[in-house]
Amino acid sequence: MKCLQAMLPFLLLAVLTVILAACAQMKAIPNLPASHPEALAAGQQVNCTECHADPQKGTMKEMTAFNHSPSFVKNHSFYAATDDRLCSTCHKRSFCNDCHTNKVEMKPSTRYGYRPDREMPHRGNFMTMHKIEGKLDPASCYRCHGRANNERCVACHR
Amino acid sequence: MKRSLCYLYAAAFLFILPAAGYAVDYSVDATTILRLEKLDIPGAGKDTLLPATQFLGVDVEKLADGNLSLHFYGWERVDLSDNSYNNSKADGSLTYGYLQYRFKQANADVRAGRFFVHEGIVSEQVDGISVRSDLPLGFGLSAFGGATVHTEHLYGESSDGKGDSIFGGRANYRYKGVLELGVSGVYESNVPILINYANGNRRLVGGDIWFSPHKMIEIMGRSSYNAETSEVAEHNYLLNIKPTPQLVVSGQFSEQNDRSFQYSWAMFSGAALNPDFKSRATGINASYEINSYVGLAVDYKHYRREIGNADRYGADARFHFLNNTLRSGIGYHYLQAGSGFAIGSNPSASYHELRGYVLHDTKSYFAAADAIGFLFKDKVQNENSAWEGIFSLGYHITPALALSGDISYGRNPEFTEETKGLVRLTYNMTFDGKGGKK
Repeated sequence: MKCLQAMLPFLLLAVLTVILAACAQMKAIPNLPASHPEALAAGQQVNCTECHADPQKGTMKEMTAFNHSPSFVKNHSFYAATDDRLCSTCHKRSFCNDCHTNKVEMKPSTRYGYRPDREMPHRGNFMTMHKIEGKLDPASCYRCHGRANNERCVACHR
Repeated sequence: MKRSLCYLYAAAFLFILPAAGYAVDYSVDATTILRLEKLDIPGAGKDTLLPATQFLGVDVEKLADGNLSLHFYGWERVDLSDNSYNNSKADGSLTYGYLQYRFKQANADVRAGRFFVHEGIVSEQVDGISVRSDLPLGFGLSAFGGATVHTEHLYGESSDGKGDSIFGGRANYRYKGVLELGVSGVYESNVPILINYANGNRRLVGGDIWFSPHKMIEIMGRSSYNAETSEVAEHNYLLNIKPTPQLVVSGQFSEQNDRSFQYSWAMFSGAALNPDFKSRATGINASYEINSYVGLAVDYKHYRREIGNADRYGADARFHFLNNTLRSGIGYHYLQAGSGFAIGSNPSASYHELRGYVLHDTKSYFAAADAIGFLFKDKVQNENSAWEGIFSLGYHITPALALSGDISYGRNPEFTEETKGLVRLTYNMTFDGKGGKK
């Protein structure tokens, strides 16, 4: 214990040195752009590699990884969990919250009735269908309604 | 809550009005929706609902030294006729509202306020502070902490079952464009004791991976471990193979230990679920862009639970014409599922799902038609199907301002007939010199 106490100043100095060294190198780490230099058309399944050939500097990943194929759209949670800063160069924060929110009374597909081309949950009479889908895949319910969006659930599930 | 929302709306406008005079970028998204719904509920009579909802989002960028920004989004609803939702005539919510300082290097930023966190296995909404930055040698670090954002109280309780504070973060390492490894965790303070529900603390740790040995192949996923139950909560993995830019073939595997994954879901007493029960889904899907006009996708998924197995398969086609201003799609899926998943005492939960839509968006008007139907193998509450058709028509008054209306009609087991109308005014304006977000 005494040995540790004696080494503490040296350990702190070492940590401080590492932090300072890291900060000195931070300037060399590239930033993602704050926004895409050109406005992108709404309703387009974006293919990043139409313009970008190089790996994306801010994420170090190939741009092909971010092409908005139907598979990408269905599985976008994997990408958002690691690269949401790249998402935010083209999408406003509110784009995500069209579906992902903490409390909302209107289905996204009702609010955006004029955009049937967008992937949105619970289209049609989901009040009936959730009695099947909830038993089929409760994890998918939990992801959105477990920690938020429970107003409609608590009305019946008592 | 409603009063605080009013203050926030006012504060947001006070903030952006002077900002308009300076060299800041700001955008406003405002949508006003007036709904008219006539419901005919068997045994409960007919209802006429007339709720008015205002959504408002504001983003103000390039404040102070140019790296500070403000982001705000919320909604407010007032019922002009009968109560439309639960028992309140008016309600609202602040979805997010935070200040963000974005540093000039290393993708570093600091956020303060109400925001969402998506980091590895963590997906939370927090009233607090978050920081994150890339570090040298491919490392990265993020952390957040603050108060939990609460939701509706559970029935007969004075709480939603969540703890009052939460913190967590993620450390990651990226190696060129080949590999990313992450370790993340979330720790919530002790949850309240409930009278009618079994409740559990949300304390998870986990890892995530993205691995692309070749740009045609991607493997990604995450596993989480519940420190309260000392058991794996979830595995969720995806394999993407992209032989050509037009073709993507994906395989997915997910498995949850029901109790450990839903441990903090108080509403369904997740902490009291059978610790031996698991949910597993394996699937494969493929999409192919035949040309710039037509795209096809097929998918299959197998579900396995204690109550039985089920399969879902189907196909979708998407069409884009007239420089993408005319878009349409059709789809068919079939769920084959046994009595364990069925509604009531039905011998089967199987159903066909059919969908078709078309939309046309021009500089002056826009119109859309959408139909979706579920055809049950066994009648549900004496109905063979649940279906809905929506027609929408709108006009761009200016490039930023649009007025539109929807009308929908459907029949389903819940409502003998369901007729809904909606009038919508949208205003989406970005005031900056370049680029844009959508």
